[in-house]
Amino acid sequence: MLDLFGSTVRTCDGVSRRNFLRVGALAAGGLTLADQLRLDAAAAETGGSTSKKAVIQVWLAGGPSHIDMYDLKPNAPAEFRGEFKEIDTNVSGIRISEHLPLQAKIFDKLAVVRSGTHTNAGHGMGSQWMLTGYQPTIEVNDNIYPACGSVVSRTKGANVAGMPAYVTLPRRLGLGNAAYLGASYNPFTPDDDPNQEGFKVRNLKLPGRVTEERLDRRRGLLTDLDTIRRDVDTKGDLLGLDKFYRDAMEMITNDRAVKAFNIQAEDPRLRDQYGRNDLGQSCLLARRLVESGVSYVTIQAGGGWDTHGDNFSQLKKNLLPKYDQAVAALVQDLNDRGLQNDVLVMTFGEFGRTPRINGGAGRDHWPGAMSVLYAGGGLRMGQMIGTTDARAEYPATKAASPGCLLSTMYHTLGIDYNQSFYDQGRRPLQILNEGRPIEELI
Amino acid sequence: MRASQNWLGIGIAACLCGLSALPLSAAELQIFPTQVELSDAHARRQLVVSLDQSDVTRQATYTSTNPQVVKVDSRGFVTPLAAGSAEILVRFQSQELRVPTRIAALDDKRQIDFSNEIEPLLSRFGCNAGGCHGKASGQNGFKLSLFGFDTDFDYQALVQEGRGRRISQTASDRSLLLRKAAGQAPHGGGRRIEPGTEAYHLIQRWIEQGSPRSAATAARLVNIKMFPTERLMRTGAEQQLAVLATYSDDTVRDITAETQFASNLDPVAAVSEQGLVQCNGQTGEATVMARYMGQVAVFRALVPHGAPLAEIAGFAPKNYIDGLVAAKWKKLGLQPSAVCDDPTFLRRVTVDLCGRLPTPEEVRAFLADTSTDKRDKAVDRLLATADYPAYFAMRWGTILRNSNLAGSTQASYAFQNWIKDLIARNRPYDELVRGVIAAAGEWQDAPAINWYWQSRDDQLHQVTADTAQVFLGIRMQCARCHHHPYEKWGQEDYYGLAGFFTRLGRKSFGEPPPYFSAPRVTLGDRNPLTGQSPEPKYLGGDKATFTPEQDPRHGLVDWMVRPDNPYFTKVMVNRLWGHFLGRGLVDQIDDMRETNPPSNPELLDALAKDFRDHKFDMQHVIREIVTSRTYQLDSQPTDGNKYDQQNYARFYGRRLVAEVFHDAVTQATGSKARFDNMASSARAIDLPHEGFGSYFLDTFDRPRRVTGCECERSSNATLGQVLLLANSDEIENRISDGNGRIAALVKDKKTDTECIEELYLATLGRLPAPAEMTKTASYLTKFSGERQQALEDVLWSLLNSKEFMFNH
Repeated sequence: MLDLFGSTVRTCDGVSRRNFLRVGALAAGGLTLADQLRLDAAAAETGGSTSKKAVIQVWLAGGPSHIDMYDLKPNAPAEFRGEFKEIDTNVSGIRISEHLPLQAKIFDKLAVVRSGTHTNAGHGMGSQWMLTGYQPTIEVNDNIYPACGSVVSRTKGANVAGMPAYVTLPRRLGLGNAAYLGASYNPFTPDDDPNQEGFKVRNLKLPGRVTEERLDRRRGLLTDLDTIRRDVDTKGDLLGLDKFYRDAMEMITNDRAVKAFNIQAEDPRLRDQYGRNDLGQSCLLARRLVESGVSYVTIQAGGGWDTHGDNFSQLKKNLLPKYDQAVAALVQDLNDRGLQNDVLVMTFGEFGRTPRINGGAGRDHWPGAMSVLYAGGGLRMGQMIGTTDARAEYPATKAASPGCLLSTMYHTLGIDYNQSFYDQGRRPLQILNEGRPIEELI
Repeated sequence: MRASQNWLGIGIAACLCGLSALPLSAAELQIFPTQVELSDAHARRQLVVSLDQSDVTRQATYTSTNPQVVKVDSRGFVTPLAAGSAEILVRFQSQELRVPTRIAALDDKRQIDFSNEIEPLLSRFGCNAGGCHGKASGQNGFKLSLFGFDTDFDYQALVQEGRGRRISQTASDRSLLLRKAAGQAPHGGGRRIEPGTEAYHLIQRWIEQGSPRSAATAARLVNIKMFPTERLMRTGAEQQLAVLATYSDDTVRDITAETQFASNLDPVAAVSEQGLVQCNGQTGEATVMARYMGQVAVFRALVPHGAPLAEIAGFAPKNYIDGLVAAKWKKLGLQPSAVCDDPTFLRRVTVDLCGRLPTPEEVRAFLADTSTDKRDKAVDRLLATADYPAYFAMRWGTILRNSNLAGSTQASYAFQNWIKDLIARNRPYDELVRGVIAAAGEWQDAPAINWYWQSRDDQLHQVTADTAQVFLGIRMQCARCHHHPYEKWGQEDYYGLAGFFTRLGRKSFGEPPPYFSAPRVTLGDRNPLTGQSPEPKYLGGDKATFTPEQDPRHGLVDWMVRPDNPYFTKVMVNRLWGHFLGRGLVDQIDDMRETNPPSNPELLDALAKDFRDHKFDMQHVIREIVTSRTYQLDSQPTDGNKYDQQNYARFYGRRLVAEVFHDAVTQATGSKARFDNMASSARAIDLPHEGFGSYFLDTFDRPRRVTGCECERSSNATLGQVLLLANSDEIENRISDGNGRIAALVKDKKTDTECIEELYLATLGRLPAPAEMTKTASYLTKFSGERQQALEDVLWSLLNSKEFMFNH
């Protein structure tokens, strides 16, 4: 058994000189009780970051098969290595699956950590771990710990006022919520498939029966009638609601958000390049959103990565072609627009898959090793980081825990992942309680 | 007085009775302690000087008559230098006090005690905090026990691990421990301990002595006490605290400099590292906690809103609740708001008891009733409806995790009905608790086993933690892995409670499968302290033993319902109080601990006694609460109470919870909800579990039933909520529903005035004020060409008004 946080395998959480340079109790993570109590207030006032960077996270729910994508083992025994061949990429010495040909052509704009690892093989708990950095002890259907997008929403907010900070595409994401940070930091979602002809954002465009003029009239009437004193509650909820009303009306009437979501305005040829499916179009929409000021987009589209049976034909016929096309198009498009330093793309799922092939030509849950792709964000591209053992079962070098993988992302956004927030039990919890950025990337 | 030799060779000649003896006479300078006697080079003493209940420790001046023997700094902190006698002269304005001081022979060779002297420093300077070396993975290869509760482990880590390089006896100041802590070697935590300070010297001395282990005979810390414990303070005022530790050999030591302090409400009173409390400008009450090696003590700062009041003018107490609340107002100079008007009361109490808005008919009937006891009658009427048990069953179902996960769809209906039935028949509260905690059998007979089944993944720990939190008001999750950082509970207590559940048996068929009490231990979890299966022990009490035929869970409930159980009744009355008043007497309602005291302990005690005297009759306590004047105060603040957030001098408005708000929209628009597989009349509060798809409920943050904490409900606003209410087809369709309220008004050819009245009654539970009537009527007149649309606009505006969204 891999002892992730003990001494069997050293994770990336080694000695850091960088930490030493950041003085002050907050930055250093050595919080006394009083520090922690002050933090909440301070974070609310100052926010976590002023950079305009953004993240697009492609969530491969179900657990993508690392050994068939980025970490092939052509010399492993037949019951491990699988059917797929390796191909060269445009970076010499780096080879990936033959079913990722488009990504192979632009691998100088990608970096993959092959040595991601944790220890929970359940979908719910593994997902929560990878989406939040914390491993829950119980399988539940909502966040116990806040998803990264909610943390970014809380600490950084939207890059442009009047836009939501955190969006999930195309719909709500089961474990993408804010937990103890509060519902204000839950994601906004169009709740509709951008690949559909009549795609529109839920409740952003005026309902059929209401014209803009009528909305104006209503707002006038509401102003007249909405006279309850704003101090009848003690928590500021009334004032909070007023703020959200202003933001919402801004979004409805100002066309910035409407335009950002208007994927129909894209050149049809570019839309084709991303792939005319929900994953491809969600990636394209995500690019539009971060350009307009959204700071964190999580995409869960397509699905089907939980390939217990018929792994190889599922991957090569269905999953990998769409995924390869969408991610390659997104990365290329971001580079074409000069956004490669401002937008970080990440793709991963809750775990990898068993290197040993099961009786149904499938692969099962395997958290021991997984591959995580990064692109842009000002990180160092064109490299493979970390290795796994001969059968791609466990990291051999540079083991990267969920905290390492996610702190790399927070690092690019300039968010101090050592800062704490209170959970519902008034326990101060750091954004991440382990891990530090992957040195080869930063 | 003791001055005997003991483990530290310290005697403190300040009698501990000084802790409770507050200075009495008006303008006379008072000092604590009245004399100082120290016999150890590392002993210190904090003086606290007061004048007429006001702290002047930092304003007074201090002089030692013999600076070779003892020195005292400008904040009244006393350091011994050599054996001898001296006096400390304390001057403030024209007054002077003398503190006789005797320093016994200072023993420089005395052995420093690791657990009593070094370990506290690791806590004081944050080394073993959860964000640093105390976290499960340690920090950069160096791990300490969280908050220093495992002395042996920490000793090992410092002295023996890291190839012994953390300690260098021959060159103590080259020890990595000191170089890192002092920021002389790269240290992620920065500089924590300044060279030259007492803490630095102490560690240095200990290293030079060969960094010995704590002697087996070393005294143990018994408790810590704070001086003073409570003060009435003014904004801008300050108060120096002193903290004394008592050890098992009866020695007492001043630990002010090694204690960690924290305030629970900085805007009222903040506290510095040296224990200086400062009132910051907001009135109210703050609790300052002192934490030292697993022991806690609290100081309460009361910053009155105004001068104390002899009586509360215009307030006529209705029952004991009002008397006890008013006593607090008098003390704090709070003037309550007036009693709310009838429509406000009816809407408030209908929402709180039944989870719905009053109907227009109910409001009209209530307004027409001229009897003086009509509010009491309304309460009786509402408690007798089916809505009251439905709503409370929903609230219980949320914190008892009633869910349809893992095949429990049918069981979730059964569990909900079981709770509803108990509440409808007003069965005593202990029956509900016993039914849950000691649930056994198949779900058809004992549907409460779904509570166990929904914790199946972490069976022992989840039910232990939920039992403590839901039924005892104690958050014990921390103590599973380490001593609670600011409570007395440790792993011993946690696993003692867990011990009642280790014989939980579960069949291997059915969803949920039958649960039963097995004759021997079935769960494999171990108590890490013993390496054995946890053994039952009552919280803060004795071990319990059970025969194989007995169900330990019944033993646990028997203990809970005993008259002397300090938690059981209090957490329930606090839960009810929090439900109706918007804030628990202890806030959060299920976080009762010494360091989180109630805002009105007398009231909490009285409610608990009343509940017990009435044999756990929930309706009785509810009736007392909602018929009190306190519950019926207006929510509009006055100048006399606008800063009150803790003492109920006005009703604290709050948002309607997700399910209630959903039903309010349904009811106001006269539309139908239509949940899958439920009757068309079913409301959100009737849903047995969280698995019913509803964009509305999700958007308004319905609890996902993943914790036993009431706090899972969030009142935070979101963009999605506003867009849904203000700009969605869903709401438009409800407003313009062909069978809805507007359609009926149009069909019945109601006049504009009648329509406006009806819409106000259906949404806000009141008639429009004249100005509102005028504005709304003129809107209808202006757009009379499209009257139905104009009526829809009025309803839209009312639904989007904050008054509608709030229970106020």
